[in-house]
Amino acid sequence: MTEIVKKSTIEKEENAVETKTAVTNRAMVRPAKKRRNQLPLAFVVLLGVIFMAYYLAGKSAGLAISWLFGICFGVVLQKSRFCFTAAFRDPILTGSTSLTKAVIIAVAVATVGFGAVQYAAVSKGGAIAGSISPVGWHVAIGAVMFGIGMVIAGGCASGTLMRVGEGFVMQWLTLVFFVAGTVLGVRHWGFWERLFFDGASRVHLPSVLGWPLAITLQLAVLGILYIVADKWGNRNKG
Amino acid sequence: MAEYRLDCLGEACPVPLLKTQKKMAELQVGDILIVEVDHSCAMKNVPEWARKEGHNVEIEEIGEGEWDIYIEKAK
Amino acid sequence: MKLEKNKYFKAVVKEAWPYTVGAVLLALLNISLFIVTGSAWGISGTLLNWGSKIYKAVGGQLQNWVYYSDPARLRALETPFFSHGGSLMNLGIIVGAFMASLAASQFKIRKIKSVRQVIAAMLGGLLMGYGTRIAFGCNIGAFFSAVASFSLHGWVYAIFIFVGAWIGSKLLVKYFM
Repeated sequence: MTEIVKKSTIEKEENAVETKTAVTNRAMVRPAKKRRNQLPLAFVVLLGVIFMAYYLAGKSAGLAISWLFGICFGVVLQKSRFCFTAAFRDPILTGSTSLTKAVIIAVAVATVGFGAVQYAAVSKGGAIAGSISPVGWHVAIGAVMFGIGMVIAGGCASGTLMRVGEGFVMQWLTLVFFVAGTVLGVRHWGFWERLFFDGASRVHLPSVLGWPLAITLQLAVLGILYIVADKWGNRNKG
Repeated sequence: MAEYRLDCLGEACPVPLLKTQKKMAELQVGDILIVEVDHSCAMKNVPEWARKEGHNVEIEEIGEGEWDIYIEKAK
Repeated sequence: MKLEKNKYFKAVVKEAWPYTVGAVLLALLNISLFIVTGSAWGISGTLLNWGSKIYKAVGGQLQNWVYYSDPARLRALETPFFSHGGSLMNLGIIVGAFMASLAASQFKIRKIKSVRQVIAAMLGGLLMGYGTRIAFGCNIGAFFSAVASFSLHGWVYAIFIFVGAWIGSKLLVKYFM
């Protein structure tokens, strides 16, 4: 028989209700496995990251910058368990909207920053930078395909990369097939181009609506979506 | 007061949460469900859902990246 | 172990951060990246770069594909991995997540549990990869960065990703659970 012990000392949760009614006081608690402390390994990896940054900086500063941005994205994604997939999936599947709200916040903050950068560039007579691509039915079809894929695979591009780093073998396989999918996608580029891309144009909202209206409208829509998400999340409460 | 174990090791999101939701619906008030997960996101979304439902929740770290989530059905 | 008990160590390294903290940090990182490099965050374009390089390495002929009739696109495949910013950034995400999970002593090789997971990973991966090419990006490039860049295609993407997620959820519950 495996050893099962009644747990007397419990780690206090911040939630006051729970300290009073600690579940583990009443349940049979499995003794924790002997856990290895992986922190020293993390320091070894950190040293490797710094060494790599040095090596890349020797080639070009831009490469070191890309590398370090990637590291930061990876750390933040992992630590906050950020998941774009869950943001789109959970309202439908589990009724939770906490990640949906978080994604709306992320987009709203980025909107302000990107807006400032683009506006500054335009005022100086420069070109508008950013992720601006032709709009049309191809976006709708691609998004639906991507949406199905991310829910089945349990993670989108950022989620897959992050989980590859966390040691999920399933996501290693997802990554391989994701890469294969992109190659297959451009194999058929001619077909999609003839069908949709040729007639599609890039639409930059402020260039059409003007800056004040575009920014106000976008932030207002995000605000409304946040309220809807909040209400949706609390709908089954109680 | 019964105790149940739900093995969700190796399951990716949202499977652990969906299985937990299904199992919790079958339980009586006062029963305890122990969900075993090793998915770092499930360790966040399963307790979050259970707390929102008003159940008592506690998380025990069992091994590296492995958790037992204790949920006591409160209503 | 003393460090494990330290309040700040626990909050920053051991425990998960609140989603909102992640959201603000990701937004700030994306803005900084945009300021420093002039381009917004994207992931899937680089995955195409990896795939095409591999395809070429195993003897595939892609110079007569319509997409690669653009010489600039073909030339991008000549850039070695460690001189390609996008590749380094994607590798960085993997290494960053690896490091963060180690620091919390939560790294574990999670093996594949069933055939169902293999099929889900393969099918999901293919659909996502293909989808990114015709939607001009993934959740990052075609949604997060695109909406922030005030591109209309980001908003269209946002509407239809919900449709996809809805269909995907139905399939998941029916076949992959």
